[in-house]
Amino acid sequence: MPLVEIHGLTKEYHKGDQKIVPLRDASLAIDKGDFVSLMGASGSGKSTLLNLIAGIDRPTSGTIHVAGTDIASLTRTQLAHWRARNVGYIFQLYNLIPVLTAYENIELPLLLLPLARAERQKRVEIALAAVGLTDRADHYPRQLSGGQEQRVGIARAIVGDPAVVVADEPTGDLDAETSEQILHLLQRLNAELGTTLLMVTHDPKSASIARRQLRLDKGVLLEPEPPKVALAARGA
Amino acid sequence: MWKFLPYIAKNLWRNRTRSALTISGAAVAMFVFTFVGSVQEGLANLNRGSQTERSLIVFQANRFCPSTSRLPEEHARILAKMPGIEEAVPIKVFMNNCRASLDLVVFHGMPAEKLRKVRDLNLVSGDWSTYEKQRDAAMVGQALARRRSLAIGDRFSIGELTVTVAGIFTAANAADESFIYTHLEFLQRMRGMKNSVGTVTQIEILLAEGTDAKAMCRSIDEKFRTGAIQTDTRPKGVFQARAVGDLVDLIGFAHYLGYACVALVLTLVGTTTLMAVQDRVREHAVLQTLGFSWQRIFGLVLVESLTVSLTGGVVGTGLALAILSWKGLAVGSEGVTIAFSTSPLLAVIGLAATSIVGLAAGIVPAWTAARAEIVESLRSI
Ligand SMILES: Nc1ncnc2c1ncn2[C@@H]1O[C@H](COP(=O)(O)OP(=O)(O)OP(=O)(O)O)[C@@H](O)[C@H]1O
Ligand SMILES: [Mg+2]
Repeated sequence: MPLVEIHGLTKEYHKGDQKIVPLRDASLAIDKGDFVSLMGASGSGKSTLLNLIAGIDRPTSGTIHVAGTDIASLTRTQLAHWRARNVGYIFQLYNLIPVLTAYENIELPLLLLPLARAERQKRVEIALAAVGLTDRADHYPRQLSGGQEQRVGIARAIVGDPAVVVADEPTGDLDAETSEQILHLLQRLNAELGTTLLMVTHDPKSASIARRQLRLDKGVLLEPEPPKVALAARGA
Repeated sequence: MWKFLPYIAKNLWRNRTRSALTISGAAVAMFVFTFVGSVQEGLANLNRGSQTERSLIVFQANRFCPSTSRLPEEHARILAKMPGIEEAVPIKVFMNNCRASLDLVVFHGMPAEKLRKVRDLNLVSGDWSTYEKQRDAAMVGQALARRRSLAIGDRFSIGELTVTVAGIFTAANAADESFIYTHLEFLQRMRGMKNSVGTVTQIEILLAEGTDAKAMCRSIDEKFRTGAIQTDTRPKGVFQARAVGDLVDLIGFAHYLGYACVALVLTLVGTTTLMAVQDRVREHAVLQTLGFSWQRIFGLVLVESLTVSLTGGVVGTGLALAILSWKGLAVGSEGVTIAFSTSPLLAVIGLAATSIVGLAAGIVPAWTAARAEIVESLRSI
């Protein structure tokens, strides 16, 4: 059984008489341990789909099952508790809490789980080591570079060992070299820890590191194409 | 919630100037609130612990200020023989100011042996034998001693009157601690008091157990009705209430000042908390994304609001009580004083008020933060 299973997912917004449909009748299955990239033009509905899977947005119709839970049917409070255990979210703009150190930022989601202090410390240290920032534990976000901030963001997303980690343009704000490091880190986490990853990106090269690639076109999810063909077709 | 306290503290510290301004505003308001509460409680305590139900005050009829009432000392001896009267204490009152004053100094001259009998004084320094031997000796209430920095052996003058401090006392009733007790004769013979030997300001009656106070008032006044000097006798509580009557209205009005202070704290803390929440719309959306429930975010904002309000309350109330107990302030009128109370109850009321206000002020901001849509808030800058 796939880890993420989506059926007929539609999201609509109503602005006066105007109807905006960022996502139209999408169906998708993601296996446990997979690394999926999602590409598409700006406004094609990538973030919308990602947010629905992460349980921070609600569909107009359709079903989303993640790790066996029908998340569209949960109440707001149940959904929050579900997110704490099952979702890691990596933001484009890192979104670290500015008043907390790298260590405290990573520990934050663990405070919601029934874990003893020692257990939390152990997990944070492992996550810090995994992203190579053990020596920056006591630094505040403003004392870190963009790439380091994003690595803290990644550590925060994986520290609770969630069922699925989503990333919305995780390298969108970074230079080419740093982006490469971050992508490599994500690839390693997927390969070594078996983290299930769904990553939105604009960049075909970034998308190509994923095991599987999806495209969205004006809210319509397209059949995955083999990556090499996609690149050749674009003349890359 | 304890696990999140560092996060709350750090957020307050991030905007420390704003937090500090709000806390000091709340502190000032709670300072005033406590002051108002203190004098109100002082008024309520006026008649406590001084046997006011069993005591009557005989005053000259149609006189209000103690400096104008003159009764023959002889009246005390006549009254002492009446059935139902246990003690009749002749008292000469001298004071620096007949009108309402924050620094009223009131001298009560009465025979030393009566003083020990009718007043429940507790000496904290000095001794009775020195007092009894020395003509110009004075027993000074602790509140007044503190206010005027008086110690044993000090000489203390008000106008033409100079006394030597022989003892400092505390009393069951805080208002008594603003008095100075001296020998009756010494006050009667002081310079500037013409023809005052053999006269007193008032006579304090201690009734025998089971005597009807009102009936006794009537029969005393009846007794002297045909004499040269008529009397006006009232239960001590009634007498005191009339003396501070003007102040009672003023203190009653100050009540509203107290409410205004609480409202001020509410708006101050509410505004600050709302601003803090508006600054962190995105941050709260991130917390929700991490799995913080809306209830938890609601709680975090409430605790933040409570922390600001309560800190202001602790500082303001604490400062007010510290100053009040150090200064021993009393407000008085017509020879009767109302001591500013410094009871622990005031601290409890102050802290309870700021707690409630802190929670109330946080409700709207907390609700705003907790119910915000995540995706929409994440898009905001
Ligand atoms: N609250 C909203 N009300 C109305 N329309 C919205 C709302 N949120 C998103 N949309 C619309 O939904 C569409 C898809 O938005 P979405 O953010 O998913 O795009 P995206 O593929 O992530 O784009 P980008 O690459 O620029 O991030 C857009 O046309 C957007 O204008
Ligand atoms: Mg997007």
